[in-house]
Amino acid sequence: MTRRALPVLVSLALGGCDGIQSMTGGDGFHAEKFNGLFTLFMVVTGISYVLVLAFLAAAVLRRRRAEADERRAGDDRGLGMALLGWIGFILVGLTILTIGSYFVDRSAAKAAAAPRPLEIIVTANQWWWDVQYVDPTPANTIRTANELHLPVGVPVHISLKSNDVIHSFWVPNVAGKQDMIPGRDIDIVLKPTKAGHYRGQCAEFCGTQHAHMALDVIVEPVAAFNAWRAASLRPAPAPVTALQQAGYTYVMNRECSACHAIGGTPASGQVAPDLTHFASRRSIAAGTFPMTRGHLYAWVADPQGAKPGNNMPYVGLQANELHAVVAYLETLK
Amino acid sequence: MAGSAFAKSRCGLIVLASLTLLAVAPVAAQRVLPAAGAVPAEDGQWLMPAKDYASTRYSGLAQINRQNVKDLKPVIDVATGNSRGHEAAPIVVGGTMYIVTPFPNTVFALDLTKPGAPVKWAFRPKPRRAAQGAACCDVVNRGGAYANGRLFFNTLDGATIALDARTGKQIWRTQLGNIAKGETVTMAPLVAEGKVLVGNSGGEFGVRGWLVALDAASGKVAWKAWSTGPDQDVLIGPGFKPYYAMDRGKDLGVKSWPPDAWKIGGGTVWGWISYDPKLKMIYYGTGNPGPWNAAQRPGDNKWTAGVFARDIATGQARWFYQTSPHDLYDHDDINESILLDMPINGRMRPVLVRPARNGYMYVLDRVTGQVYSADAYGYINSAKGVDLKTGRLIPVPEKEPKEGRVVRGICPTAPGAKDWNPSAFSPRTGLLYVPHLNLCMDVGAMEANYVSGTPYVGADVKMYAGPGGHRGVFTAWDPARRSKAWEIKEDLPLWSGALVTAGDVVFYGTMDGWFKAVDARSGALLWRFKTKSGIIGQPISYRGPDGRQYIAILSGVGGWAGAIVSGGLDPRDPTSALGFVNAVRDLPKRSEAGGRLHVFALPRR
Amino acid sequence: MSSRFRAASAAMLLLALAACDREERQARGAPLPEGPPLAAGTDPRAKDYENNAYHVAQGQRLYAWMNCVGCHAHGGGSIGPPLMDSQWRYGGSMEDIVRTILHGRPNGMPSFDQKLTEQQVWQLAAYVRSLSAQPRQDVLPSREDAMSSTEPLTTRSREDVEPSQPERDQGRPK
Repeated sequence: MTRRALPVLVSLALGGCDGIQSMTGGDGFHAEKFNGLFTLFMVVTGISYVLVLAFLAAAVLRRRRAEADERRAGDDRGLGMALLGWIGFILVGLTILTIGSYFVDRSAAKAAAAPRPLEIIVTANQWWWDVQYVDPTPANTIRTANELHLPVGVPVHISLKSNDVIHSFWVPNVAGKQDMIPGRDIDIVLKPTKAGHYRGQCAEFCGTQHAHMALDVIVEPVAAFNAWRAASLRPAPAPVTALQQAGYTYVMNRECSACHAIGGTPASGQVAPDLTHFASRRSIAAGTFPMTRGHLYAWVADPQGAKPGNNMPYVGLQANELHAVVAYLETLK
Repeated sequence: MAGSAFAKSRCGLIVLASLTLLAVAPVAAQRVLPAAGAVPAEDGQWLMPAKDYASTRYSGLAQINRQNVKDLKPVIDVATGNSRGHEAAPIVVGGTMYIVTPFPNTVFALDLTKPGAPVKWAFRPKPRRAAQGAACCDVVNRGGAYANGRLFFNTLDGATIALDARTGKQIWRTQLGNIAKGETVTMAPLVAEGKVLVGNSGGEFGVRGWLVALDAASGKVAWKAWSTGPDQDVLIGPGFKPYYAMDRGKDLGVKSWPPDAWKIGGGTVWGWISYDPKLKMIYYGTGNPGPWNAAQRPGDNKWTAGVFARDIATGQARWFYQTSPHDLYDHDDINESILLDMPINGRMRPVLVRPARNGYMYVLDRVTGQVYSADAYGYINSAKGVDLKTGRLIPVPEKEPKEGRVVRGICPTAPGAKDWNPSAFSPRTGLLYVPHLNLCMDVGAMEANYVSGTPYVGADVKMYAGPGGHRGVFTAWDPARRSKAWEIKEDLPLWSGALVTAGDVVFYGTMDGWFKAVDARSGALLWRFKTKSGIIGQPISYRGPDGRQYIAILSGVGGWAGAIVSGGLDPRDPTSALGFVNAVRDLPKRSEAGGRLHVFALPRR
Repeated sequence: MSSRFRAASAAMLLLALAACDREERQARGAPLPEGPPLAAGTDPRAKDYENNAYHVAQGQRLYAWMNCVGCHAHGGGSIGPPLMDSQWRYGGSMEDIVRTILHGRPNGMPSFDQKLTEQQVWQLAAYVRSLSAQPRQDVLPSREDAMSSTEPLTTRSREDVEPSQPERDQGRPK
């Protein structure tokens, strides 16, 4: 059984090493620093681990020889020297680790104190992320859900809130975890250094769908980010075809608008993800499904099938209603 | 030699005396008076709830005075047949009195020439019953207004109706509000220059506020000024000159809100309007921004919780002052503005004096909107004061409501140091008589969801007595000295209006049914009468057909403060009635429901 | 094996079985057929929703989300009448409450049948019943999500549901 389990275990272990949700990805300022510190710790502790094993082996061998020999109970002077050397090694090692730790911590703090051009508020709900880009002019705030667009090389200050239970914000490639506790104002500072697409995850068990609470983090060059931001300020486009209009009518008059908001329309629900530019997102329902037509049909037709227990109810749409609603949702780019 | 010296000194004395008199005379003549031209001569009638366009609520009748008021006796005591909160002021025109009841807003015309004041006619507008579910604070109506042979009033479901005052027949009916959005109308209209001014209610339902001017003859809309949104909706044009920089800018009614939030933003106009006939300008305040949970609407949230000055003919805004930018406490700014001419730093100025919800007594220039003073008339710990240079209210960060937490001990409470119930000004004493509150609150804010037609609030509130333990206060405020002349502490919150007469008597009512007459100069209690139901209405005074002076008041407890009685609420939940139930748990024992009209007069000699 | 050992293992087995499945959670509202509620006391869905802690908890969430709290506060009433007492204008059974929420009532209660699914309405009705402590003790929510100002529902004693007495129409003259 061990033989069969081994490759599985190895691949699982290696799976954490690289990719879009990787603690060692090093795609952010703090993540790079963390990687460096991790390596330092591995080296120092690795050496001491090897030395401990060596001493253990030596001790076992000497004992065996001593039993066989009946003399040389112990070379006191040699042992004393080795012990002193070992203490010295530990002191030096710990000092190196402390100094390394200190410098990484200080540089992380400096990054946090840097002037912050980008302010974001992320509010965690069961089981989705409410993301708001703050602007000094309130009319230029952007509200989106389950995705975080960040510019490369720009520090971003994220205020973390929760509307119900304790969640935790974690984008392993970019930085570490930070809890989101209802009623408390907590924040985190990130600075992504490499463009790309990463996956964040809620890191504190928050209920039945905790596993399906992922965050799409898209880090892009500053120009692309600004373009995205300008596009997000536009209200939702009006429906064109008859099917889209039927979908629009359904969404405005029925269950959808009781919870969801779509910018520029009468739908102003606050308790569910904002759908203004829904079709431009990479995934549906916080990473549960990729954003494809088939998955969109599956989600709207039966949200409880994919993510049982989540707060979007099974509505039981008729076939024509389903076609209309999906057609309208696909226009929300 | 001695004779000429004496003559010289006497002459000098006369010159000195004259000069002194000249110097003193202007100061002595600088009294605080209602705005010139806004107060007609006393004719013994009461044509609008505020009595006159300056909103003095002052009766020039002096038959009842401080010496004989103790002999006041009830001469009429009839039931209105309605058990909700009666906030209206009776209107008296000649020998007829007009009463507008709470929902279903029946209008009764009573014949004062006959004994017992029998009903001449009754008009039943049959407003939609569903409107009762959209009225945040009991299904009240604050009264009608009379002009040119017509009686104008509003129904709860948002219609303005003009009746022939003599026959009670409907002349026109204009539907302005939409209850499906949670919009209702409770205010008393103001009629001036051939226009009927009507504003909506619904700040707790995410209703976008407006003020409409209807043509008094035809009922057609002359102009409509929204309280949020782009400048062309708010009727802000080139003539708009706000005094403070914080109120200047293009499309602030959109820019100071998150995207689309202004469409469900509040700023309703459910309170009082004053009018200056010389400047042809109306003055009114806008209600709270929606939702109560301020975290959902970062920005100053223009043009809510502030005072507008508009040109009555076109509705164009002349200036605006935001009393509570980014309001945190439901401090609607709809309270009455009393138009006065008073000395400021030695010079007479046209001002308006407003006891605001946030606890400050504002004195603003009627022409420019400059704030001359803002002094606390109640206990405030949620603001440090008003910065007169920038005009901004200075908040206290520790008292800011936070989502997911409960912030305790915020004063003044959501209905403020004073809510809608209007004060009265006497030109004889120069004092403003203010019936108001002494309450504090705990607030737990949370995210509010917007579902059209349902409340859009996001806050759990619990209210209780403020420092001192008394829940109501009746203050006589001296606007010239900017301080209280005297005050009367009341156990229960005061939710009734005030009346002051030329006989130097002030009238007001308590929520457990004591209708009181106090000395306008000293505050001493001179007379009181117990009604079965608490009083939240507006007292008036008129000269009857027999020449006697009468005092009239509607009793019938309710409104936001009395909802525990009029709505039959359960005090086991302290957050009921948006927190007010906790503050008046003892009210059901002290007052029953049931509206009645009471009229008092001195006994015939 | 000793008899004590046998007794102990039997007891453990029983306990282990009892620990399974406190209740069924119907996330989708199936397999019960959807349809309008039957007369008071006859609809089989009533007990299923009322005695299910998950449904009552979801009802508690929907009570805030649909702004029931804005008109009825946390049971004490405000614009609408109290829900925590024994007086029911339009009936206090699960079926009556479901009808009230679905279709609205004449004096201002809005209709939610366009805005909520049937399952959500039954969940709300179950929570409304819990405000007067009608469900079983172990089903009642033990904690209020909002400002702590009322005693927990689990300590409340069950109110009688008095037969519906439509209140005298507001404001009709005597």
